Amino acid sequence: MDTTYLKKLLQDSIHHKFLEKYIKQPNIDEEKLIILSSLISNNTGLTIIEKEHYIITTMMVQIALDTHETVPVETSEIEHQAVITNQLKVLAGDYYSGLYYLLLSEIEDFDLIHCLAAAIKEINEYKMKLYYREFNTFDEYLFLTEKIDSLLILSVANYVNEHSLDNVSREWLLMNKLMQERESRLNGIIAPIYEQMADLDRSTFLTRIDTMIENKKRTIENLLVNLPEEHTAFKLHVHSKLSEVMYNNISIAEEG
Amino acid sequence: MKLPKTYGYLKKDLNIIEKSLHQMIQAEHPTLRSASTELLNAGGKRIRPIFVLLSGHLGKFELDKIKTVAVTLELIHMATLVHDDVVDDAELRRGKPTIKKLYGNRVAMYTGDYILARALEEISTLRNAEVHKLFSKTIVEVCEGEIEQIEDKYNFDQSLRDYLRRIKRKTALLIAMSCKLGAIVSGLSKRDANRLYLYGYYVGMSYQIIDDILDFTSTSKILGKPAGNDLLQGNITLPVLYGMQNESFNKRLLETFTDKDNVQPVDMEALINELKQTDAILNSYQLSDHYLQKALTTIENFPSSRAKQTLVDIATFIGKRRS
Repeated sequence: MDTTYLKKLLQDSIHHKFLEKYIKQPNIDEEKLIILSSLISNNTGLTIIEKEHYIITTMMVQIALDTHETVPVETSEIEHQAVITNQLKVLAGDYYSGLYYLLLSEIEDFDLIHCLAAAIKEINEYKMKLYYREFNTFDEYLFLTEKIDSLLILSVANYVNEHSLDNVSREWLLMNKLMQERESRLNGIIAPIYEQMADLDRSTFLTRIDTMIENKKRTIENLLVNLPEEHTAFKLHVHSKLSEVMYNNISIAEEG
Repeated sequence: MKLPKTYGYLKKDLNIIEKSLHQMIQAEHPTLRSASTELLNAGGKRIRPIFVLLSGHLGKFELDKIKTVAVTLELIHMATLVHDDVVDDAELRRGKPTIKKLYGNRVAMYTGDYILARALEEISTLRNAEVHKLFSKTIVEVCEGEIEQIEDKYNFDQSLRDYLRRIKRKTALLIAMSCKLGAIVSGLSKRDANRLYLYGYYVGMSYQIIDDILDFTSTSKILGKPAGNDLLQGNITLPVLYGMQNESFNKRLLETFTDKDNVQPVDMEALINELKQTDAILNSYQLSDHYLQKALTTIENFPSSRAKQTLVDIATFIGKRRS
């Protein structure tokens, strides 16, 4: 299914005039959208409407969760406009959650409602662990991050009984996370991963994270080899992104 | 609202619902579990489960189905409260520290999301399309109402209709839904289910109007927050809208809120005193009574039963609420 069309459909479904006046239009995680599209498009047991609903509702849940992550940890704003923005971030997340339930009620897919709700429940359990820093090693930290990021998609994969993308999705989403963290560090932002490696200086940190990204890249390339033919579009997309990663790393290395 | 003797006979079923609510929020993470449990233990009137039970008793009562609906409605209500406290930056609820105050915004957000997810997991076990369509529409509309409330804050130009639509979404819809869902899962006819929906809607409207009155007439000790807090937060409620018809009050109100970021609780005292000099409180009670009469008329054709009598008693009780 065309992801540009899906993106537009999703944007139209969550559009709310007043919310958009105060909070940024929600960020749509395109990697997740592409994975979902690949997972669901080729499912012969689903109608077009069901396919669209499955993808849109899962993305709505992701947006709801992501929007709530933008609520500040501390309420410190005193300026009226900033207060409103923060209040609306809370309500917007709830609104998007309501919308996913509404859409799935319309197609009477009670089991998917259950599946998505169960995933949200579990994700929040992991978020609590991450928030309270309940990990002892960097690998444990990465495990929590990976769970939070991929659990929703993997739950839907399980629901539609399509497991061929499980491993590659998990690795690909985590690699994207690592790249985001790397980008943040390059821009001087102390990203969560960097906090875990706070004892490292900038260049050691970048070397470490580059090694991790490089390892992930190799793992993903191996996983892509064995993907069934119906996931060719996803495969091409990831290959193209991986070559961009290589290009970016070379550019940064050249810049010193 | 204390449990009046008239529905003491529901206590056994309410205890089962309460136990189920506790089971539903037993998260694996200890803090997530304590946060949810503390909220549940803080009490609450459980008016939604009560309405579900009463409507259910008017039809073919099956506790399992009734329980699923009642528990879900209460969980949704709880999730909304946790997030509302982040929205309002509230430190106290029912006189006890909020989850936001105890554990911070992030945990409050996760707790609310967790509880809502549990609610949807629970209701998804019911294979009734009508129930889900009603439920989901209501959740969306309640969220829209909350967003609208932010939109209407400090808007002194709003109409009575704006206020009524807001309290419909804020309070009346979930009560109406409680009554209707109890009716649907108990096999009542569409007509009866709609009548109960209207009953719940009118009772909810009346209940919220009285809540809004009490914000000005009750004490901070009873309210668990300072009197006039709604207005301080920029929420324009019915007594204020009626009060604004009085020139002197209107003038003082607009002067007070000229610099809305710097209005202090002490400013409220003078405003409340002036509001009490107008007909605003009396007129607000009259509108509340008007809704209650409509609620009573709506259910008068149901055959006599203990559940029907209790619905009448609750409406009457709400009308007499003065603290």
